[in-house]
Amino acid sequence: MFKRLLWHLLNGNRVRLTVALLALTSGGAVVSALMNLEFDVNHRLAQEFRSFGANLVISAPSATGSRASSGLIDASVMQVVDPMGSSKVVASPDLYVVARAGSAPGRDVVVAGTWLDRIAQISPWWKISGSSSLSRGDLTHCLIGRNVSRNLDAIFGSIVTLRYGSRTTNLTVAGIIDAGGPEDNQIFANLPAVQTLAGDAGKIQLIQLSVAGSPDDIRAVQAKLQSALPNLSVKPVPQITEAEGTLLHRIRFLILSTGLLILVLTALCVLATMAALAMERRKDVGLMKALGGSMRKVLRIFLAEVGIMAFAGGILGYALGVLLSVWMGERVFGTRIAPRWEVLPATLFLMLIVAFAGALPLRLLGNVRPAVILRGE
Amino acid sequence: MFIRLLKESFVRNPRRKLLTCVALVLGMAVATSTFTVAVDVSDQLAREFRSFGANLMVTPQGDTLPVEIGGVDYRPVTEGTYLSVSELPKLKSIFWRHNILGFTPFLDVPVSAAASSGNAAGTSFPVVLIGTWYEHSLVLEDGTSFSTGAFSTNPWWKVRGQWFAENSSQCVVGTALAEKYGIAIGDQLNVSAQSFHTSKPLTVSGIVSTGGAQDEAIICSLSTAQEVSGKAGQFRNLFVSALTKPEDAFSRRDPNSMTPTEFDRWYCTPYISSISRQIREVFPDTQVQPIRRIADTEGRVLSHVSLLLWIVTIAALIAAALAVAATSATTAMERRSEVGLMKALGATNLLVGGLFLSEQLFLAVVGGCVGFALGAGLARELGETVFGVPTSPRLIVLPIILAAAALIVMIGSWIPLYRAAHVRPAPILRGE
Repeated sequence: MFKRLLWHLLNGNRVRLTVALLALTSGGAVVSALMNLEFDVNHRLAQEFRSFGANLVISAPSATGSRASSGLIDASVMQVVDPMGSSKVVASPDLYVVARAGSAPGRDVVVAGTWLDRIAQISPWWKISGSSSLSRGDLTHCLIGRNVSRNLDAIFGSIVTLRYGSRTTNLTVAGIIDAGGPEDNQIFANLPAVQTLAGDAGKIQLIQLSVAGSPDDIRAVQAKLQSALPNLSVKPVPQITEAEGTLLHRIRFLILSTGLLILVLTALCVLATMAALAMERRKDVGLMKALGGSMRKVLRIFLAEVGIMAFAGGILGYALGVLLSVWMGERVFGTRIAPRWEVLPATLFLMLIVAFAGALPLRLLGNVRPAVILRGE
Repeated sequence: MFIRLLKESFVRNPRRKLLTCVALVLGMAVATSTFTVAVDVSDQLAREFRSFGANLMVTPQGDTLPVEIGGVDYRPVTEGTYLSVSELPKLKSIFWRHNILGFTPFLDVPVSAAASSGNAAGTSFPVVLIGTWYEHSLVLEDGTSFSTGAFSTNPWWKVRGQWFAENSSQCVVGTALAEKYGIAIGDQLNVSAQSFHTSKPLTVSGIVSTGGAQDEAIICSLSTAQEVSGKAGQFRNLFVSALTKPEDAFSRRDPNSMTPTEFDRWYCTPYISSISRQIREVFPDTQVQPIRRIADTEGRVLSHVSLLLWIVTIAALIAAALAVAATSATTAMERRSEVGLMKALGATNLLVGGLFLSEQLFLAVVGGCVGFALGAGLARELGETVFGVPTSPRLIVLPIILAAAALIVMIGSWIPLYRAAHVRPAPILRGE
């Protein structure tokens, strides 16, 4: 009986219900696309922000970068840090030394010892002309900043002589860096070569880490490293992490508030449809009541109808929303955004709330008096 | 007759009209606010990106190689060339002067410092003294003053205590340095440049933390560093924070190969390359280069994020349009019996259609206007919460919104009206 009545109701008002379903579907589509994107957008944006380079620095406590031997740490730390590295965490050791370059007397230049094979990951904004893929074990080549190249008249293939104290080393220029920053004034070589030059075998000054993820992920990695390395200081690069955090927060907020506005609008549309339906069904309700149907039973039928529509709208909306978010992901980030199943129950839940909020006018039916209806007024 | 019918329709059944109108108002408010915010969002985000700090660096041309690690220059005072502070106001006279949000000159002087009071009294150590502006008010060529300094180009610098006051013998000490030698706020330091043997007493007014090599240096006002180094009125390099438009295919072209019209277009667009060129025009003997770490990433993230937000906006607009269309379809459907009656009394389809359309259009105009006002308020609120700057309403959106509202209600009521026009009067009049 209940089912048959429901079927008649759904069937009898097809056009009107299609309109409400349309609104629920479009609302559901946009909201589920936004939710799907919401899960991914942080991750994608965090990935984009990785092109800012390092966001964590490990160094000796109370020393950050100046050339004081007290600030040196043991290179073996890299063996602790590096295995923690994954696609999300990239670490690169650094040792700086101010050497004299070029023919005597030469000029002061900052020589940085690092892992040249990690450069593309840790400093993705560099443009390197020449061979940029040097292995970590190559101790005869170096990369030079473009200002160094100009000042020393060194080009691709030239040999640069570096002197520090009584030690000398000759390196062949394998590439010229255009970094648009202080790195343009520096020479980069593999770590062991610089350690030998500086006489600091097995020592490094700092480790730069590029951690992909939200500010919370970065803090988690920082805490993990700090507990693994209690004697060293693990600090975020405030220039990058602070600004990144606020930006991500703002973008998320914008997307969320847009989603909320759409939900309100969808509810309104369902409301309009339901108000119209309630007016139209006064006669049916009057009749049902006259035949002894209690108001609760009558309302239950109507609410079941709304529930079915919300369910159908939610599922259709989810399917459309997934398509929309996949397209958005490809268009904006150039990668596919995987559909997330947890968005489906969330969409259904939201659609149910919205539909029932929109079904409030059905309460008007409670005021219907059977006698008046049956008299035909 | 037509007008009277129209009037009657509104007076007799205000409740139904109200529903369409409310839907229109809300739908158009959503459209207005998302659209207004989207128009502004690129600008706002670009401004937000400035919290990453300066994106342009100005250095003297023909300078020797800076011996710079972590943002601190370790070159002795005697080496290299300098720029003059008196030229700086020119920076705010370039074409895109309003996009120059701030600039900070730096003068790094290697000194030896000796603590003369506090825990650290008696110790002396070599250190770099960084002369800069924290919040300096610069008098521009047109007589107005412009407040600039590290607060705008290095906003992540945090101080415990006070920043040094301009033209005072105060300084702030980097956290790492303070920790190493036990320097506290209120201590006295005597600094002297290695090549220039006058000692200058400085009072520590705060402890600064920057996350860079400045944590091991002393930062003081530019004039103090000039006095210590004997380089009155000069500085080494300048960091500029400029609002820019993300690079695109056009901006990557070489300006020298452009036609005059293209060149004008390039020059009058705030690309980082055109701003660099304009700065070089006022400072002829300098090298102006984008700090690529910041500028490149900013451009890419900015264009991706604005694209994302535009797509979200468009999706919101479509959802709003559908919701409004659905509501107006619902109200139009209710009028079947009315249409039957009118047709029975001899009204043509044209008259009936015209009547309904004018009704809906009237609602669209009223709903669109109210919706625009509401949406402008909403956008203002949204801008205020998200970016801390209220989004100003744009009148240009009003006609777009009105046209959209009219179109949406027309599309929404088209099918029900079309069906109503083909209603056969007899069954309706019989009450079926």
